[in-house]
Amino acid sequence: MAAESPISDRKVVVHLRATGDAPILKQTKFKIAGNDNFCKVIEFLRRQLRRDTLFVYVNSAFSPNPDELVIDLYNNFGFDGKLVVNYASSMAWG
Amino acid sequence: MGGHCLWDGTLSPNDFIASADDLTKKWMAINPNLPQWTWIPCQRMDVSCNAEGYLALENMYQLSASEVNAPTDDENYSAEEAPFDNATLIQSYNDDMHIYDFHIVYSFSYQVPVLYFRGYRCDGHPLHLCDIEKDLPPYSSKIRNESKWTFMTQEEHPYLCCPWYTLHPCGTSDWMKLLLGGDLPSKNPDMLHYLSAWLSVVGQTVGLRIPLELHDKSI
Repeated sequence: MAAESPISDRKVVVHLRATGDAPILKQTKFKIAGNDNFCKVIEFLRRQLRRDTLFVYVNSAFSPNPDELVIDLYNNFGFDGKLVVNYASSMAWG
Repeated sequence: MGGHCLWDGTLSPNDFIASADDLTKKWMAINPNLPQWTWIPCQRMDVSCNAEGYLALENMYQLSASEVNAPTDDENYSAEEAPFDNATLIQSYNDDMHIYDFHIVYSFSYQVPVLYFRGYRCDGHPLHLCDIEKDLPPYSSKIRNESKWTFMTQEEHPYLCCPWYTLHPCGTSDWMKLLLGGDLPSKNPDMLHYLSAWLSVVGQTVGLRIPLELHDKSI
């Protein structure tokens, strides 16, 4: 049996989904290192969308803490080989 | 109207009670060594409801910012260099620990949960918001200052009648609709996990860490 690659080498496929009236990215699937924190995903979204205020959540269920490890999120909440991350713009006060 | 979720992001008083019970039990199962959520029943004269109350999580200890930022060089210490002094440890524990209480109260006007919180020093001296903000992780401040959906005010606690800090609920139903509403309008939102989903967002703004397992529906 081949040795498993160490956790630091594992990459996770993240699928970014726009919800609400958030702009849709041209490229929606990315690979990110498993031992990166979730804040890397948030920061990536902020840079791509050039917006600071984003609402980011997983699986119609919860919003992850920025210092959660991506690999932990994938192991517990990923499916079909990827972690689906939804994002929306924070609404301004009407 | 196809493709739009029909749910408005709110929950009923009875759903609040059921979700509070679910949160309490899961928290106990996952974090038995931490302070626990407790249901505090109470009665208000002007509302008729079978059961009314709020969830309380109290005595959460938090190292004050000054203690956390103190330089440490643990890897270089050897047993000989750092003799353990019980008296010193206890003294700094008292001076530098802040204590936080969190209450989740149902708002009948907004039909969503509202977080009330307060912090105080070990000597009972209450913390002002500017002191509390120093205790919070950097991403907390970022969320609070940037997001239009979360801002803090000081309000009278609906049951305890003294001022607590609170996250204003006016945006809650909007982002809860996104969070739990999903893409299928015919699918009912998962009301039992409403509070743990809601807490995953508001917890970040007040530095209350929510364990991942709380969202695992198989537990």
